[in-house]
Amino acid sequence: MDMFANLALGLETALSPTNLLYCFVGVTLGTIIGVIPGIGTLAAISMLFPITFHLDPIAAIIMLAGIWYGTTYGGSTAAILLNIPGAPANAVTALDGYPMARQGRGGLALLMTTVASFIGGSFGIIILTLFSPVIAGYALQVSSAEYFALMLLGLVAASTISDSSALKGLAMVVLGLLLSTVGMDAQSGAARFTFGNLALLDGLSIVALAMGIFGVAEIIASVRKINVGDIDRKTISWSAMLPSRDDVRRSWMPLVRGSSVGSFFGALPGTGPSVAAFMAYALEKRSAKEPERFGNGAIEGIMAPESANNAADQTAFIPTLSLGIPGSATMALMLGALMIHGINPGPNLIIEQPALFWGLIMSFWIGNVLLVIMNLPLIGLWVRLLTVPYHLMYPSILMFICIGAYSVRYNAFDVFVVLGFGLLGYLMRVFALPAAPLLLGFVLGPLLEQHFRRAMVLARGDFTAMLERPVTATVLSLTGLLLVWSVWSGWRKYRARVRAQQAIEA
Amino acid sequence: MKILAATALAVLAMTGTVSAQDFPSRGVTLIIPYSPGGSTDLLGRQLANELQAKWGQPVVVENRPGAGSMIGTAHLAQSAPDGHTLLLNTAAHSTAPAVQLNLPFDAEADLTPITMVATSPYVMVAGAGVEAEKFSDFLAEAKNRPMFFATAGVGSSSHFAAELLMQQGDLPADVVHYAGGGEANVALMGGHADIYISTTASVMPYVNNGQVKAVGILGGERYDLLPDVESSAENGIEGIEIDGWVGLIGPGGMDPELVARINADVNEAIQSESFQAVLEANFVRAGDTTPEQFQELVTREMALWRQLAQERNIVAQ
Repeated sequence: MDMFANLALGLETALSPTNLLYCFVGVTLGTIIGVIPGIGTLAAISMLFPITFHLDPIAAIIMLAGIWYGTTYGGSTAAILLNIPGAPANAVTALDGYPMARQGRGGLALLMTTVASFIGGSFGIIILTLFSPVIAGYALQVSSAEYFALMLLGLVAASTISDSSALKGLAMVVLGLLLSTVGMDAQSGAARFTFGNLALLDGLSIVALAMGIFGVAEIIASVRKINVGDIDRKTISWSAMLPSRDDVRRSWMPLVRGSSVGSFFGALPGTGPSVAAFMAYALEKRSAKEPERFGNGAIEGIMAPESANNAADQTAFIPTLSLGIPGSATMALMLGALMIHGINPGPNLIIEQPALFWGLIMSFWIGNVLLVIMNLPLIGLWVRLLTVPYHLMYPSILMFICIGAYSVRYNAFDVFVVLGFGLLGYLMRVFALPAAPLLLGFVLGPLLEQHFRRAMVLARGDFTAMLERPVTATVLSLTGLLLVWSVWSGWRKYRARVRAQQAIEA
Repeated sequence: MKILAATALAVLAMTGTVSAQDFPSRGVTLIIPYSPGGSTDLLGRQLANELQAKWGQPVVVENRPGAGSMIGTAHLAQSAPDGHTLLLNTAAHSTAPAVQLNLPFDAEADLTPITMVATSPYVMVAGAGVEAEKFSDFLAEAKNRPMFFATAGVGSSSHFAAELLMQQGDLPADVVHYAGGGEANVALMGGHADIYISTTASVMPYVNNGQVKAVGILGGERYDLLPDVESSAENGIEGIEIDGWVGLIGPGGMDPELVARINADVNEAIQSESFQAVLEANFVRAGDTTPEQFQELVTREMALWRQLAQERNIVAQ
């Protein structure tokens, strides 16, 4: 019964006209920021932060949170239509979303990602409502050894994320890992691959890398083949957007798996929506009956990551609200908005500020519903974006990408990093080297390395101590099995091909 | 490129020679060398709010995080010394240069300490894996079982404070570096690491929630806002006389009159009711120093940390 009283209190708070208004403002801003490539949540929230001095704390955090999860809704738009992820968490959506748009199924992809976002978000909210304190307790038990094992499993599972040759995929994962080592080593303080450049001491920016490799490279590649007219007007109509029975059937399980994976990684402090989206995509491809469909417009390939990153967006509030530990800079800023008003997030927040806690959670529901209502009519508008002449479209996208890269840390160097990665991305296209594994290596690399070294320090250099932890040992064995199975199934396929060839020759 | 930069600087310097009377003549930028949302960032945003009201010019906060605050500091060092670009930093201002030996600026000559905004002692907190509740018990436990000291990163003030305590207390412990104070506190709560030493702003929220426990204060005396927590000197550990701080820094070569003017304005701003409320929430006290006092403190700390870095061999290779 308590739960109903809490939910009622939350609903009452969230539905007050002021809070409803700020929720609406938040999700609207979030959608816009998400759609525009480059401009990120962090920049937007820090720009709006001064307003929160003058707002009621509940209204302030409802608005900031709306921006945060609204961005992930909007972020898939440019990823699908233009192959330019609105935010790093949406990069993986481009892998299948963009081919879908090329096949004239852009409207459908946008509709389905909105559905996926809503279901993922709702799933996350349910987890957040029912299990917050429990999960927060478990999340604390996760040590560096477990993080390392999980990251390794993810990396192995996803190393063949792309369709091209396994060797090329692997090479790109390694390149991503190498790029992620640039900067100051977190355990020794040594500068690695910085060439004495202070701007490199903090590493390459993920935003710059994702925007460069996907966005700028796409623009360079498209400039030569102008094909504005080829968007069929018919794809904008409602009937073309509705999923077929086959689409719905295929989307079901990816939604469930994506939401679960997303909720898990969102709740861990230190991982977030980007890691969640990659892991969900990797899992989907691994468990698919026809993995070769991925990368060619498989609907599973957009449903899983989009439900995962939205679920992660919501469960990211678990460590933030119930432990007072922000999982990312954006979350820290939201905590800051509360602290400015003398509210200390932590285990006592639910007890001391029930109206705020439950009001915020209920505002997530309302925000998610608002996002769906807002996004559905917008789909037609977004799809029409594709008919904008490229000589207007691409320069403005480039401009936004540069502003976005700059705004992360006010560093002009990051703009050059974007351009550099744009060139690299173009070269990779020319040589048919897949971009996704590179991004994956770059995202997981630092987590993998830092957690491994931290785990080794904590075990005083004894690797076997890591295997004595049951969860770590289990995950590492799974990883080993997966590796063996991959090699074996690859060998079997190779043998089958050779045999087929011999049969033809004979 | 160099010539261009030099010319630009020269032009900036010429247009930027502002006397203390007509400061500020335009908007002021307050650089925070950390990501938004941290304790220094929040303090800085509140300070910007106060100064904006006082100066009648916009005071804009700019987050330039990275390299343990040195990216923002490098940017400051290259700015015109006209008071329109300022920076708010913690004691990392004096610890980071002890580790990063290839900084593109001289940490003493190219920067002007203006005033200390807030100060608190370093508080030692213990996590789930530590049994001791008091400093004396902690010492016994730490000698028996080598502990792990979590830090907020290589070269951070929490790193140096930990090394200093390990040295002066002759403790057999290892440091393990985390990405920021938040992660370090999490590691303590989960029992993965044992001890974290930082300023009150970074640890008190978790202490108040009962997630970590305050076991000691570094320094000679107890802290009047935490009267029950024993100090290190009480337990026979000498030679630790440092406090954590947050201070306002300007570019090198500022006009002393201008420094005095900003110093006076900031010292006045931090007495305001709203700013005091923020200080109180962070368990810190207003700094309120003269420029000379603050400069002397910074110089002394820089020497201390450089020496400690050499003795404990914590210089990055």
